Amino acid sequence: MPDLDAIKTETKRLLSEGVVEVVVAFKPGDTPLHPQPAFFMNVDDVDSLVYDGLCQNNLATFLTRLPKSQKIGMLVRGCENRSVNALVVEKQKLRENLFLVGIPCEGIIDWRKIVERTGEAVIAVHENDLNVFVDSRAGNFNFNRADLLHESCLRCTHRTPVNADILIGEALPEGDLTLAATAVEVFEAHEIDERYAWFHKEAERCIRCYACREACPMCYCTECFVDHIEPRWTESGATPAGMQGWHIVRAFHQTGRCTDCGACERACPMDIKMTYLTEKLNHDMRNKYGFVTGLDAQTQPPFATVTLDDKNRFSV
Amino acid sequence: MNLILEKQALPGLLQGWREQYDVFLPQKLERFSHFLPLTPDSVLVTDEPHNTRIPPKALFLPMTETLVKFTRFGGYQDAQQNIHPRIIFAIRPCDAQAVQLLDTSFIQESYTDPLWLEKREKTITVGLGCHEPCHNGFCTTVGYGPFNKVGLDALLTDLGEVFLVETLTEKGYSLFLGLREAQQQMTEVAQRVQQQAYDKMPVAFETEGLKAKLEQNFNSSYWQEVSQSCLGCGVCTFLCPTCFCFDIADETQRRERVRNWDTCMFRTYSLEASGHNPRPSKVERTRQRLSHKFVYWLDQINQIGCTGCGRCVRYCPVGLDIRAMLRQAQTLPFEVNHAL
Repeated sequence: MPDLDAIKTETKRLLSEGVVEVVVAFKPGDTPLHPQPAFFMNVDDVDSLVYDGLCQNNLATFLTRLPKSQKIGMLVRGCENRSVNALVVEKQKLRENLFLVGIPCEGIIDWRKIVERTGEAVIAVHENDLNVFVDSRAGNFNFNRADLLHESCLRCTHRTPVNADILIGEALPEGDLTLAATAVEVFEAHEIDERYAWFHKEAERCIRCYACREACPMCYCTECFVDHIEPRWTESGATPAGMQGWHIVRAFHQTGRCTDCGACERACPMDIKMTYLTEKLNHDMRNKYGFVTGLDAQTQPPFATVTLDDKNRFSV
Repeated sequence: MNLILEKQALPGLLQGWREQYDVFLPQKLERFSHFLPLTPDSVLVTDEPHNTRIPPKALFLPMTETLVKFTRFGGYQDAQQNIHPRIIFAIRPCDAQAVQLLDTSFIQESYTDPLWLEKREKTITVGLGCHEPCHNGFCTTVGYGPFNKVGLDALLTDLGEVFLVETLTEKGYSLFLGLREAQQQMTEVAQRVQQQAYDKMPVAFETEGLKAKLEQNFNSSYWQEVSQSCLGCGVCTFLCPTCFCFDIADETQRRERVRNWDTCMFRTYSLEASGHNPRPSKVERTRQRLSHKFVYWLDQINQIGCTGCGRCVRYCPVGLDIRAMLRQAQTLPFEVNHAL
């Protein structure tokens, strides 16, 4: 686990030396399962900063909510760092206005997996690199950390931030790329009817609260396509067509932009699986274009570029 | 009247009701419980540590509901609901209380919503009290409770092998004809179970004076602080049993006018046609959400518009907790205006 004191020390330095105006990190929530994103502007407040496996949000989603000119410090794990890069590539942020405090990440714990095993009356959670200890009204539990990780984290390939300004802790070895490929191949092995049935079963639980959209750093459009009145791109209601329209178009808008951080799935109040869609797009980006989102802050995603020697021209 | 229902007689009773009613009860849907129609193989979920994920308000105000159907040549007709008489079984007291609160909005002298009214009149609610109150609920704090009877036709108390059935209305009584009457001793056992449940629930925040604090601090930086990590999604409001806002849209390809759940937490909710938005940021939207429940409902009907079900606490993707927000509100200065 990363050294919390080192994170606090660096955060205090960034604020006291005026390197940044605000540091985006986490503070304790009202319940141990839900640490809250927090915005530290004063050195004195930094003592309340927390960081653990239950910090489930991708903090990069707050970047486009803050002014582009603001000097911002942020805790970044592997996925968050790549999301920041993707935002810089899309000119939503200036890299020189950001100071990234990198944390090599052992994976995010899915709080639902804890509650399933312990009941919701959780009093305290402690963890180390291998184990998670939970005290709840139902008793004391000891879990393997790997059993509680979110699916995106189980197949994560870039656990260490790729271009943070400082790294707290030792870099971790790269993850196994075949795990990500396997997740896609397992899904693709099913017949088309089964795949559609799965998609329908997941999408039909949608209540269209758009938590997935708001949790995603790359969903920063001022006006989302579902909020358009004229023309209307998809049905407005919680009908099969409306829900499927939302899920499929949301996913496609992420092509070459998704870092598979899984924040969308973790934010969903209805436990809807959706990273299988974006991971397929990531898979195609890797295999067809040799592109991985956010490995640097310069490379445009393939679908955002056009060159004169593209094989297929826009000709009729 | 208090009756005794043997637990082993419950499946037969439920199936018997199906002859006359559509019966909805909490059943497993993926990893949570959800009000679904009773079928011959339905399994009732009562061991959930808390209420259903989606509140039963959805049975009265569906996420999407057709209001009007248009015909091809300019005509139209009001939507027909075809609601069959129905029973909602094992609704939790917080959710039943919420339905009563919503009645005050949908059934008024000046206007009554016909779609809501029809569903309400054709529904019998059988509540299941919470002898093990859920961890994130705070119903007693907001003046309701784990065995609150408002909005119910009958209330069940789990006594192990049996339920004590308190019939609260004629309709409720009609469902349990033929059950034996509870002896005084059983009623007292149930009262103890109920009291223990009340006693188990801590006070989550102080409601005394809260309304005045929120009103007087309308322009306080407090709202900025508590809304800072808010993502602006609709989880808290869509899963709230008392949130009832909707938006009306024309689905022209289906030739239908529909109403969909909408929420004050969305930017587009208060966006006006001119482009002006009177609630331009999540600061104003958060203030609206909290103030509606803890100020405006009180102004209108003198009741708090939150039943303490705990869903917004449980499912907020950034861990925002209304209990903590309101505890903080209680520490705000109470500004006395000497100029008046």
